[in-house]
Amino acid sequence: MAFLRIDSDVDPFGTLLSLQEELERFMRNPAFAMGPSGFGAYPPVNIFDSPEGALVVAEAPGLDAAKLRVTGTGRTLTISGERVFKPDGNGLGYHRRELSEGKFSRSIQLPEDYEPANAEARYEAGLLIIRVPRGEHAKPRQITVQTA
Amino acid sequence: MAEKESREIATKEKQQLTKPQEQTRPGRYYVPDVNIYEFDDSLKLWADMPGVKEKDVNVTLKDGVLTIVGQVATDMYAGLRPMYTEYNVGNYYREFSLNEDIDDSNIKATLRNGVLELELPKKEQARPRRIEVRSA
Repeated sequence: MAFLRIDSDVDPFGTLLSLQEELERFMRNPAFAMGPSGFGAYPPVNIFDSPEGALVVAEAPGLDAAKLRVTGTGRTLTISGERVFKPDGNGLGYHRRELSEGKFSRSIQLPEDYEPANAEARYEAGLLIIRVPRGEHAKPRQITVQTA
Repeated sequence: MAEKESREIATKEKQQLTKPQEQTRPGRYYVPDVNIYEFDDSLKLWADMPGVKEKDVNVTLKDGVLTIVGQVATDMYAGLRPMYTEYNVGNYYREFSLNEDIDDSNIKATLRNGVLELELPKKEQARPRRIEVRSA
């Protein structure tokens, strides 16, 4: 399985393109053990693997951070929140109204190796970024070899 | 069964920019969703640009054409291996031609939670003025 190679020293101009190609490839071929696809649910998520654990990145701009909830139980991570669009002042009307509004709640199932109950989440630049650590049982452990 | 929410947010598929355009850096561009509201003294625009940082936004107004560009930050993806993906990341680009006369020296732009907010003040002569009706 290919790793993302995003190193600005090596590949100064192809960075975004190579990331896009890699993401595109996985859209058609999700990795094994991810459970049923939740494609179409809000917010859309990408899930990555790293030596420390899984990284879930959801695109959800304009949320009220106070109403954002992330919970983890068993293999499941649940995110819920609301987007409200209310501009100040009395408008004369609108020319375009395309931004999505409303409430959402979505559950994501992760492979067994991860522990959603110990996840850490942050909301930054309209991205909800959740780090889910690998469970103790899934970490490599050195086995001591005993001599007779 | 969970209580039915009054209004649920819907997922829209990102729209890729199809207009042929020369870019110095290869990579896909997406068309950001926007709201544009008109007020007495200004136009306000909100554009969804998740993943874009303040320093990577560029707003220009030239010959009545407003151009907004956002370069998405990719540094957070270094060393990660995708397992499952539902969306692609990319830069954002959109142009509007404005009918209103905008005071281009006083445009205000802020980026909050991945949403670009633009305040485009109208020039004095473009603001609606109440005309007094005199009786004879």
